[in-house]
Amino acid sequence: MAEKLYIEALAEAIKEEFERDPNVFMMGEDIGIYGGAFGVTKGMYPKYKDKLIETPISEASIVGAGVGAALVGMRPIVEIMFSDFMMDAMEWIVNQAAKLRYMTGGQLKVPLVIRSPMGSGTGAAAQHSQSLPAMFAHIPGLKVVMPATPYDVKGLFKAAVRDDNPVIFFEHKLLYWTKGEVPEGDYIVPIGKADVKREGKDITIIAGSITVIRSLEAAEKLKGEGIDVEVIDIRSLSPLDTETIVNSVIKTGKVLIVEDDNKSYGWGAEVLSRIVESDAFDYLDYPIQRLGGKDVPIPYNPKLEGAAVPQVEDIIETVKAIFGKE
Amino acid sequence: MANVKLMPKLGMTMTAGKVVRWLKKEGEKVEAGEPLLEIETDKVTMEEEAGYTGTLLKILVREGEEGPINQPIAIIGEEGEDIEEILKTLKVSEGAEEEKKEEKIEVKIEEKPEEVKREEISKPRATPAARKIAREHGIVLSEVIGSGAHGRVHRKDVEEYIRKRTEIVPSQVTVEQKVEKKEEIPSYRVIPFTGMRKIIAEKMQKSINTAPHFYVTMEVKMREILKLRETLNSKLKEDEAKISLNSLLMKAAGIAIKDYPIFNSYVEEGQIILRNEINIGLAVALDEGLVVPVIREVDKKGLKEIAREEKELIQKAREGRLMPDEYTGGSFTISNLGMFDVVRFTAIINPPEVAILAVGKIREIPVVEEGQIEIEPIMEMTLSSDHRVIDGALAAKFLKRIKEILEDPLQFVL
Repeated sequence: MAEKLYIEALAEAIKEEFERDPNVFMMGEDIGIYGGAFGVTKGMYPKYKDKLIETPISEASIVGAGVGAALVGMRPIVEIMFSDFMMDAMEWIVNQAAKLRYMTGGQLKVPLVIRSPMGSGTGAAAQHSQSLPAMFAHIPGLKVVMPATPYDVKGLFKAAVRDDNPVIFFEHKLLYWTKGEVPEGDYIVPIGKADVKREGKDITIIAGSITVIRSLEAAEKLKGEGIDVEVIDIRSLSPLDTETIVNSVIKTGKVLIVEDDNKSYGWGAEVLSRIVESDAFDYLDYPIQRLGGKDVPIPYNPKLEGAAVPQVEDIIETVKAIFGKE
Repeated sequence: MANVKLMPKLGMTMTAGKVVRWLKKEGEKVEAGEPLLEIETDKVTMEEEAGYTGTLLKILVREGEEGPINQPIAIIGEEGEDIEEILKTLKVSEGAEEEKKEEKIEVKIEEKPEEVKREEISKPRATPAARKIAREHGIVLSEVIGSGAHGRVHRKDVEEYIRKRTEIVPSQVTVEQKVEKKEEIPSYRVIPFTGMRKIIAEKMQKSINTAPHFYVTMEVKMREILKLRETLNSKLKEDEAKISLNSLLMKAAGIAIKDYPIFNSYVEEGQIILRNEINIGLAVALDEGLVVPVIREVDKKGLKEIAREEKELIQKAREGRLMPDEYTGGSFTISNLGMFDVVRFTAIINPPEVAILAVGKIREIPVVEEGQIEIEPIMEMTLSSDHRVIDGALAAKFLKRIKEILEDPLQFVL
């Protein structure tokens, strides 16, 4: 299997979906000749000229047009340059895209994918650095995914395009240039299925997107401390794969949840609640711990920016504290 | 007007006391200075005086029950006095009394309101996993010693408890048999983990779990020190306490600690804290466990004074009359099992101290020196040290120093 960058795997998925279904097309700011702000569609322009529609700088109109296109039978992909800008399109996402299939008793479908980079780490300051998937996972009618690896980004993107419901597809900026094995050709990673990225018996770390990568690195270092860490990549925030999480917690009895979002009211609280409500409760052998973003706007200063979200060291320290190894 | 007797605070860490026995019945007359009841704290049982003269009108905390400090335990007043009003307004008047009498203590309690509250609840802290296993095996959680923070019981603690229980009672009766033969005396006896036993268990468990122990042993030639003791004791008056070997060991340890002050430290919150006073504890065996009375500032005291204090403290310890100040604040402990014919042994450090000296009996053995065989009285002593603070060579040097002092007792004078 070939090693590819996350961004390459994503571009491959987009192109393959363009080829597979004539109804698939993409809209967004500067996605044509320029190739997108992060270069996801770079080099696609001459060949897929008709598939890439350049738009004005108005997130409300882009998503609104996307919802309209989806309602009349197209399968639009909308790129929002920074996921922070989705706030401008909330009416279309929350009140229209998420509701119409329900309100028409299934007569209408909204096969829309909104894909967007998220997260801090690039020095882009408070309005260009948020991780907000939890905000969307709160809304019934939306599916929310955030793949962490090149393999998952390709497979999940294909699943998102083929889903008849609106899917919000989050790509952490720092993941674009990470490498991993990606098979050639068509394959699907189902939405709503978590993945055990690393097996272990002592503690379960539940992570998503960038925190999966950080947790795996922490797990490797914790091996030296004699702590055998299991890392679960939730992959989909909505629907959430409770079963995989519960099975792991029953096995290990200890849990650390690591999220890149702001900690307060974050998705980790939902995961924690599902564990405590489940059969896993009787197997818990330590208070469930959570690491999340500090409840502050992401600072511009790179040192402060790094301190605002959980890093590898934070994960290691927290796990060591759980095992009384401070 | 009747008076409300409160649970006294008998030590810095005491949060509640258990009423062991009421020495007076309701309706009986009491004098202010007369013993009214026996109270058991974490380490000692003490008699508590009535404090008021009158009739014991009402007992509020029964025998075997625990009561938090500064809370009413009895009402003393005039015979036939109506105490309904007092019982109703107990909360108000008790608050007032507290303020008046125990002002200082009040302040101290407020420093750690949470901890006090939690201990008062006295519900065991345990994880869901521990509770599940305990439930399945019919185990009372309060009997399991928790290894986690604040004594939290984890799954492994319950598993450990089950394993030990099975070891002790290999042929347990099956459930069916138990139901049928309910009236019969069971084939085993349950000793509840309470009082001193529980304290010892928790302290020792914690010590061995947190302090990595290592041990060094040395032989000491005792001829000179025994001679010295004989000489000194012959000069004592009839009514003066004889200087014991333990007194000499404590003094020698005190002198050695002056040279190696790190042995006078303890670990707290990731820091090593050095004490100024050199206070040496001596392990005293009791029927129900053991207690370690402490002789303070051993380095500044003469042998006669140490011997007198030692005798007094041992007496008090055996009678369960030690005051909290007399068994806390130790720097270093000596445990001597020589009188039980023990040649050598290793001891578990008395936390939060960083070392303990285990002393065996003196026996005459042939010693080869410069090609000659001599019969020498030899004593073996083993130092257990906490490796977080003390390294091997240091432990060896310190032990060597004690040995030198004992072998050349003129150093007591220096």
